[in-house]
Amino acid sequence: MDINLINPLILSFIDILPQIGFQAVERKGLSLVASTLDYDGVLVNISLVGVLKGAILIGMSLDSAKEFASKMMMGMPVADFDSLAQSAISEMGNMVCANACTQFSKVGIDGLDISPPVLLIGHNGQATLPVPQTIAVQFLVDGIEINVYVGLIEVNG
Amino acid sequence: MSAAKVMIVDDSFFSRTLLAETLQLGGCEVVGEADSFDSLIETYNNCQPDIVTMDIVMPGTDGFECSRALLMNDPSAKIILVSSMKDEETEAEARRTGIAGYVQKPVDGEYLSNIIKNILSPDTLFEELIESAPGIFNEALSQNITRMTKTPVSFESMDTFDNNYVSQGITTVIGIIGRYSGSMILDLSSEAAEQIVEVLLHRPSKNHEEVLAMVAELANIIAGVACSMLNKKDKSYSLRVSPPSVFFSSSSEIASPNLKIQASYAQTTFGPVFLGIGFKKGAASWI
Repeated sequence: MDINLINPLILSFIDILPQIGFQAVERKGLSLVASTLDYDGVLVNISLVGVLKGAILIGMSLDSAKEFASKMMMGMPVADFDSLAQSAISEMGNMVCANACTQFSKVGIDGLDISPPVLLIGHNGQATLPVPQTIAVQFLVDGIEINVYVGLIEVNG
Repeated sequence: MSAAKVMIVDDSFFSRTLLAETLQLGGCEVVGEADSFDSLIETYNNCQPDIVTMDIVMPGTDGFECSRALLMNDPSAKIILVSSMKDEETEAEARRTGIAGYVQKPVDGEYLSNIIKNILSPDTLFEELIESAPGIFNEALSQNITRMTKTPVSFESMDTFDNNYVSQGITTVIGIIGRYSGSMILDLSSEAAEQIVEVLLHRPSKNHEEVLAMVAELANIIAGVACSMLNKKDKSYSLRVSPPSVFFSSSSEIASPNLKIQASYAQTTFGPVFLGIGFKKGAASWI
């Protein structure tokens, strides 16, 4: 998959996260990985349909997810990853991916649409995206580690 | 219907006055006004409007940022974007952000009233979808398992799943896009999936990847068949499906905090198969 497809998503992270209470959004690593990846903690799945098809996964450890949700809720303590915290994380995923579609349209990839987020919370899990290769990007957001996996393929015709 | 309560968000005093006048002439009641990002949430929570009109250009912020903040504060907030520009991409971004409607400046009073009426009326097409989708997805699952494995399938309703669902092992998620967007979740145990592979291929599965690939394909067929059946029922649904994401874990939970999932258990010869389906309400004003 074209590694440049990651740029709209990176721009979206940098654009959206400061709007929901975060100060520093740093991109750490970027790599091309296989379609199957390991996860431990929380994964948000958002599917994309249009001239690109596939899914974006946003992953973080359970502790990071609690810290992240707490920041989104203006510092409200989050002891358990309860339904409110789950809702906050999935809303973040929705906002980032919705904005990524807008960033895609700025580079001529129009008409993408996203599905509502589904959350997976588990240990020693594996995710397989419907693409031969996935781009993995690590972000450090106010010290919280986030892993993003982008598995998109171009649809011909 | 009683007068719709509207809150106006616009940095310009003149624009707010003009819009308030238009709204009142159209039979709405203006219950609050905010001129900046800072006063937005407090005003909203104080006046509890049915509708928020949102200017797109404001100093230091924009209508999208304000709309995201409002929707984070109240996911059921109904926002109408007001902009002098009207282009496809702004409309698309508004729709993806969860904004309910879009009007162009200068605002036509009758057009705005119609949009408000549409947003506040029950969406019968959506209600029909919610009513018929679970049955149709169940039918697609049962048809395909029966056809492929020559074994019967029966269903046990789980109503909706409010809390997290504990996975049996393999979870497939398929996104649905169209007039309404949604998700399909299919979940079964590794053992059940292995048995299905064995029946289909007349031999035990070679490896775990083969099992996951079969589950992905099964989910893909079910979602595709069910969405075609729904599109046949009403063309305007225009549903399309994403390719499947497959998750495997010995201990995981699935949650869909912002989308109500209607779920059922398919009782198959191979074990129970969980099938969940949910659609997000769109806004009639977009069509």
